[in-house]
Amino acid sequence: MSFQPLPHAFPFRFADAVLERTGPAVGRVRASLTSNTEALRGAGFPAAILAELVAQSALLLQGGDAALGKKGFLAGISDFVVARLPAAGDVLTIDVAIAGRLGDTVKFDGVVTDAEGGAVARGSVTVKHGRA
Amino acid sequence: MSDDLKKRVKELIVRQLKLEVDPATIADDAPLFGDADGGLGLDSIDALELVLGVEKEFGIKVQDEEVGVKAFASVNALCEFVRQKAA
Repeated sequence: MSFQPLPHAFPFRFADAVLERTGPAVGRVRASLTSNTEALRGAGFPAAILAELVAQSALLLQGGDAALGKKGFLAGISDFVVARLPAAGDVLTIDVAIAGRLGDTVKFDGVVTDAEGGAVARGSVTVKHGRA
Repeated sequence: MSDDLKKRVKELIVRQLKLEVDPATIADDAPLFGDADGGLGLDSIDALELVLGVEKEFGIKVQDEEVGVKAFASVNALCEFVRQKAA
C-alpha cells in the first residue's frame, strides 16, 4: 500500500504499515519506533504524538490508495489516556475504528498497544479532511 | 415545545461538549455556532460531538451535514429536529 495518502514525511510520519483493514478507516496499523525517530530524541516521545499516531493510522486506513487518498489533519483529542510513553525499539499496534462523521469531520476511536499486547494509550481523535 | 425536552437538550449540550456553564443559562433561541452575541460559539468539531450525543441520547442519526447545520442552529431547532424524528 502506498503512503501517498499521508501528507506527512519523515520524521513526522509515525504509522508505517497497515496490518489489517476491515473497513473504511477500520483496522490495524503498525508503528515501529527507532532511535532515529525525531520525536524520540531529547525529551522522548511526547504523549500528544500518540494522538497524532492514531490520526495518521486512521487516515492511512481511510486513504488506502494513492489515487483516492484523502488528506486531513488532527483537529481534536478527547478522552485520551496514556498508560505509558513509548520508547525506541517499541513496535506499536494501533487499532482504529470510526466513531462518527459529519461532513468533512470524522471522529475515530483508537487503541495503542505494544508488541506484548500491553496498553500504551487509548482515546478518540477528530480529524478534518483537507488541509489545515 | 416541551420544557422537559429543552432541559434534556441543554443538559446534553453541556455534558457532551464538557462546557462549564449552567444548562439553564443557555437561551432557547441563541445560536449555538459562530460568534454572535449570546451564542455558545461552537465549531465543527463540537457539531460532530453533538451528532454523537444526539444519537446516544435519542437514538437519532444525523448523517447529512446540511441537516446537521439546520438542526444544531439553536436549542429550539434541535428540539424541533428531535421531535420530528421521534414522531
